[in-house]
Amino acid sequence: MNFTIRAATKVDCKDISRMIMELALFEKMTDQVKISSEELERDGFCPNPLFECLVAEVPKENKSKEAVSLHVPLGFTTVGYGLYFYTYSTWKGRSMYLEDLYVMPEFRGFGIGKGLLSTVAKCKALFVQVAKEKHCARLQLSVLDWNAPSRDFYATRGAQDLTVKEGWHLIRFDGQSLDDLGNDAQKK
Amino acid sequence: MANFIIRTAQPNDVCDILRLIKELAKFEEMEEQVILTEKDLLEDGFGDQPFYHCLVVDVPKEKQTSEGHTVIAFAMYYFTYDPWIGKLLYLEDFFVMPEFRGFGIGSEILKVLSETAVRTRCSSMHFIVAENNTKSIEFYKRRGAADLSSEEGWRLFAIDKEELLKMATK
Repeated sequence: MNFTIRAATKVDCKDISRMIMELALFEKMTDQVKISSEELERDGFCPNPLFECLVAEVPKENKSKEAVSLHVPLGFTTVGYGLYFYTYSTWKGRSMYLEDLYVMPEFRGFGIGKGLLSTVAKCKALFVQVAKEKHCARLQLSVLDWNAPSRDFYATRGAQDLTVKEGWHLIRFDGQSLDDLGNDAQKK
Repeated sequence: MANFIIRTAQPNDVCDILRLIKELAKFEEMEEQVILTEKDLLEDGFGDQPFYHCLVVDVPKEKQTSEGHTVIAFAMYYFTYDPWIGKLLYLEDFFVMPEFRGFGIGSEILKVLSETAVRTRCSSMHFIVAENNTKSIEFYKRRGAADLSSEEGWRLFAIDKEELLKMATK
């Protein structure tokens, strides 16, 4: 299977948005998806973008044939994406976070996921040049505990599960709890 | 402690910020993992495109620490992105020196951070906490935070530099 991996452009946002929903469907959390391709365009392709994105494409003759979910037509040539951004570790400095990595099910097993991850790792390497020899210290990401294939995918590439190994838990304030915090109201 | 001031960090605060980073790392029993320098903090936080933002807390001179420090707390954050809900505020580090706890400084810092999050149109504020840090977890839960690792099963993974270079050169 021939494929190419390239930086996403604004016009890719509709495909990226479709695949974001496909990944959310797999993670059984589609009700949590609140934004659309318009927000992705605004946030990823402005003067100070909040994220960067890679997409994987296949030639027209290999376009998608299997439905990932209902109500979505077939025939896509944009079949995978990797969305990431830069973060900061107070221990090690500049780092990256891989927020989403997804390949449509019928296109798995051809090295596309590996290609996306390697390209993100190369971006880190490019970033090293841009930052004048300064290294991007690490790449972090999150995986659901029941998603064994993904955990294995990352583990074979040297990823360490810091939740299991070091006990780190991800905490969130949002919606009412975020507003309450700002208004200094404590929940009893 | 009636008087304390929360303010945006300035370039000349990097020495105090690094000191407090090391104190927090020591508390987390990971002090030897801090390889960041004052120069890094200066370049990365106060250049054209900052990689982080920082709040610091001052106390008056008469309340200074035994070593003469008046900067006694800090919070470091940056903006991240969730493809489901958009812009987030990520709280990387948050620390109040032990002798200055119990006076509402931590609560006030969280208040300023959440106001910042709302003002900069963030949907959510995220951070990580070590599971054995029960005091901190209770502090956040009392204020309505959700533990996504326990509640939704999210596990944090990291791929370090050597492994990244192996992948990048394949």
